[in-house]
Amino acid sequence: MMEFLIAWWANVPEAAAAYALAALGLLLCERSGVLNLTAEGLMLVGAMAAMGAALQIEGYPGMALVVGMLAAALVSLLFALLVVTLRVNQVIAGLAIVFFCQGFTQLLGVMFDWQNHPVPGLLPVRIPLLADMPIIGRVLFEQNGVVYLIVPIFFAVQWVLHQTRAGLRLRSVGENPEAADAAGVSVPLVRFGAIVAGSALIGLAGGLLSVGGVKMWFPDMAGGRGWIAVALVIFARWQPWRALAGAVLFGCIESLVPRIAAAGIRVPQYFMLMTPYVITLVVMAWTAWKGRSRSSEPGALGQPFSREERR
Amino acid sequence: MRSLRRGRPVVAARRRMSAAFDAAVTTVAILAGLALSAFILVVAGVPAEELANEFIVNTLTDADNLRAVLAQAAPLAFVGVGAALAFRVRFWNLGLEGQMIAGSVAATAIALADVGPPVWRLFLMLVAAMAAGMAWALVPALLKLRLGVNEVISSLLLNYVALNFLLHLLYGSWKDPVDAFPHSPAFDPFERLPDLGWGLNAALPLVAAAAVFAAWLLGRSRAGFYMRFVHANPSVALAKGLPVAALVLTAVLLSGGYAALAGVCLSVGQEGRLTQAFFAGYGFSGILIAFLARNNALAAVVVAFLVAVLFVSGQSLQVFYQIPFAMVRLIEAIVIISAAASEFFLRYQVRWLR
Amino acid sequence: MTVTTAAPALALSGVSKRFDGFPALDGAHFSVREGEVHALLGENGAGKSSLMNVAAGLYLPDEGEVRVDGVVRRFSGPLEAAACRIGMVHQHYKLVRALSVAENVMLAAMAVESQSAGGDRSADKVGTTASRAALRTSYGSRLARIRALIDDHAARLGFSIDHRRAVHTLSVAEQQRVEILKALVTGARILILDEPTAVLTDEEATRLLQTMRTLAAAGAAVVLVTHRLRDVREHADRVTVMRAGRTVAECDPRATSTAELTELIVGAAAPAVTRKAAAPGVARLAIRNLTCRRHDGFEVLANLSLKVRSGEIYGVAGVGGNGQTELVEALLGIEPPVSGEVIIDGVGDIAMASPAARQSIGVAAIPADRYRLALAGTLPIADNYGVTRVASGAYGSVLWVDFRRMREEAAAGVREFDVQGVRRIEQPAGLLSGGNAQKLVIAREFASAPWLVVAHSPSRGLDVRACADVQRRLIDAREAGAAVLLVSEDLEEVLLLADRIGVMSRGRLVAEFDAPVDRQRIGEAMVDHA
Repeated sequence: MMEFLIAWWANVPEAAAAYALAALGLLLCERSGVLNLTAEGLMLVGAMAAMGAALQIEGYPGMALVVGMLAAALVSLLFALLVVTLRVNQVIAGLAIVFFCQGFTQLLGVMFDWQNHPVPGLLPVRIPLLADMPIIGRVLFEQNGVVYLIVPIFFAVQWVLHQTRAGLRLRSVGENPEAADAAGVSVPLVRFGAIVAGSALIGLAGGLLSVGGVKMWFPDMAGGRGWIAVALVIFARWQPWRALAGAVLFGCIESLVPRIAAAGIRVPQYFMLMTPYVITLVVMAWTAWKGRSRSSEPGALGQPFSREERR
Repeated sequence: MRSLRRGRPVVAARRRMSAAFDAAVTTVAILAGLALSAFILVVAGVPAEELANEFIVNTLTDADNLRAVLAQAAPLAFVGVGAALAFRVRFWNLGLEGQMIAGSVAATAIALADVGPPVWRLFLMLVAAMAAGMAWALVPALLKLRLGVNEVISSLLLNYVALNFLLHLLYGSWKDPVDAFPHSPAFDPFERLPDLGWGLNAALPLVAAAAVFAAWLLGRSRAGFYMRFVHANPSVALAKGLPVAALVLTAVLLSGGYAALAGVCLSVGQEGRLTQAFFAGYGFSGILIAFLARNNALAAVVVAFLVAVLFVSGQSLQVFYQIPFAMVRLIEAIVIISAAASEFFLRYQVRWLR
Repeated sequence: MTVTTAAPALALSGVSKRFDGFPALDGAHFSVREGEVHALLGENGAGKSSLMNVAAGLYLPDEGEVRVDGVVRRFSGPLEAAACRIGMVHQHYKLVRALSVAENVMLAAMAVESQSAGGDRSADKVGTTASRAALRTSYGSRLARIRALIDDHAARLGFSIDHRRAVHTLSVAEQQRVEILKALVTGARILILDEPTAVLTDEEATRLLQTMRTLAAAGAAVVLVTHRLRDVREHADRVTVMRAGRTVAECDPRATSTAELTELIVGAAAPAVTRKAAAPGVARLAIRNLTCRRHDGFEVLANLSLKVRSGEIYGVAGVGGNGQTELVEALLGIEPPVSGEVIIDGVGDIAMASPAARQSIGVAAIPADRYRLALAGTLPIADNYGVTRVASGAYGSVLWVDFRRMREEAAAGVREFDVQGVRRIEQPAGLLSGGNAQKLVIAREFASAPWLVVAHSPSRGLDVRACADVQRRLIDAREAGAAVLLVSEDLEEVLLLADRIGVMSRGRLVAEFDAPVDRQRIGEAMVDHA
């Protein structure tokens, strides 16, 4: 039993890390008032670009991840152009970008023949001493570098949002762009920045899936994690702490599924694969039931901003 | 800083626009999207001079290809009209694929269990499919109406649930005993949409009737008139005492039903059995069609035909130039991005201030 | 008052501004000196706010010039005005509701600092260096400094405000203080307040105006944009009167009689409304012990009871935000009450009925927020006109809507109620001006002879002519025997139209009067319970 639990928990941090990165990226973006449905697509871009880089420059998985981040940030510029500059409906734009990314990554990945080529990828980093602790050592201190990076990234997001001028601008733009505009904040600039920065984190999440997790690439490998991350931000009520907690919850569920199969417990496989989605739905319904007020949502979420010019 | 610049662009809402301007801008945008797609195709290795040939000449003049286009247009029109119905009440039904799966699973269940006499079998399958599609759409609809859960995410997540359920059946009890492949046993001839000759099945008259019905509902019935208010301004619709919840539910359920019928066109109509990926790509195509058709049911049929041309061309590109079918998805995405971007020029005008 | 030969702190001269060809300002002029409270008086639409928006850098004038301390300035945005130490408190506060008081002030301070630090024509070099220094300090210490400044200014003005609280938890009066603090902390020396007392109780208003005196005594130039004579007479040193985009007079308010000021404001004598004596009949609408709560449990309507009889206009007066909106929304079924009865003659209690269930009763509703509760701006005028009567079968059956008949009747209704600016009956209703959109609402609601009318601030934001038209329609309805409930924050309107007047304060009906009634007594009732 203990063996099962440890094997399960040891896989949680990495699974949770992808959710946490994507959710933090989305959160950054949505706190600036942009409803971001692109996560699924940007994760695919991050995953493919990181794998492409890993196959070209072997032995530098960190570089591969940076390439994944850059690629996602680059694609997000298109999204930003649509929703910020051209004020396209944010749902339509988000969906279009997801499908663009799905088509694009599949096309490139297949044409360059990056499919199903395993790479060494990210290797676990043992933290001396700490990793020798019973149970906790294996669960928390034998993970790959990105998992450890979650901690500084989380505090950085928290700090930027609440302890910097940029964060104050970002929150004011997300809550009341008219007031922010009156205070001289460039709403488009802040939103562009938030989208690009957030998308880089989403790209890192994608890179983690390919270079960190399965260590190879196949089409549509995000498998709905991006959508779950979007839901995660909703029931985290746009608070980084709750998003992190939600990510751990989904990390637990996701890593439990293969463990159960490996342990030889006879549960219909596809029903197990369904659970993350069903649980997301249940949690969304439950959060909605509990907190009927929508007061925690950024005030201007999903609304394009156009200054009323009367000059 | 601002004061140093020689003026700046000012964006103002366009007060009036003519239908001709609207059509011109949209057409230019779609053409620009297609041009960009063509460029990508050339880069991907399709000879430039072959493009027009592949896309227009071959698909529309060759009888086989035209048949394929018409066959493809039926499910696309169903999802397109279905998406339009939901969008008309401001409901982002992104669960079209899940509803397609639910419908086909229900139809297959009727066929495999041999419910009812053969004469009625197909009818029962269609009814069951619609009911299942509606039931699948009912979940996000109720979650939204009762609890205010965002339907974008809930309907999308249900696609994954439906997909896993489908795989559970196809890799489990419904696996074809004949070849042990993960698809259902073939349907009996009377369980398939009948042929109308010239290689076309009954999907076409079915979808024509469905589109006319939707056009009547949206354009002529009292419910459709009320839906305009639900779409334009939900709070006014509520204040004026319109039955908003009932209207939303009607449109969303019909949307789910139409999506189920799209699934039926593919599984019961074309493939003759339930397969693993018959629905792939139709969900987004439905959204694309509804968007380009401005949620108009009859326009959706026309757009569906054009998307069908794209689908069939995509298949031949796959065969002749080894271009992955994902290219079709990419082209669709590019077209919708350029069409969406062009709306900016319809809604706003840009002036240079100072 | 000190008489100085120095240039006024702010002077505008020959200012003209047109919107869509319509002149909002026509050669207006205005000046304010340091150390004075200067009232800018005029009716709604006289151009007061437009002129001050020019001063605050929001509007670029077509003609005319703005001088600050005698120097001609050309502001291309409010921040440039702020860098010249001009601060404006708008009627609609520009606050970020989810942020704290300190964060809101910080946001404003950051904007002005970066403007002065970067701008090449900022007011003074000293400010520039100070701003650069402020920009370099860390966020935390800057915020601490801002908090100290807030407390400092607040103490000097006699405000009590907790800088940690989120703005959305503050009352309207407190939010106004945040706006004032924003201006002061960012160094404003010329402070413009646009209709600051409109949303306040009398007590709050008096306190605010005293605060403004304190500020002026400390050397600031305060501009008070208002349409309330009382504010001016008691608290202003000078007054400038505007009418139809022009400056018509500048005088000493203490040396000018009320009658003179009134005449300056309205020009000719105010239009009187002619009407017959009231002939009230049975009670068509009876509200008994109506209680409504907000989501947070706050009681917005408390045991409110009133009766409206046929053939009379019952006016509900009160300062805005005392439960009027909630009363109207409860009557229209938008927010159901917690308890109480709404009895309609011949129908029964409908307090808990949904708007859909009320449709058949045929209440003519003229809500205050047109584009939230009455009109779909993107839909054609014809659709908006037809929507209430479709259910009755007036335009075809459930299966087939007769759009042609709808268009014809809409065209007839639009003509009859004199809705201007309709080129085609298919054009979106949102293209109509405020007054004409309101007339469209009335045309629709009065299409079949109204029986019970619920109107909320029906002439708010309308020009004089449209306003008179709308009020005429209400009188006509009354004379045709309808029961009219008129809820209005405009006391003039209530006094002009109502046969009986109830005064609302804090969700209660605190007094009832029969017309004609002494406005002094209503005024007392409005503020007594504040």
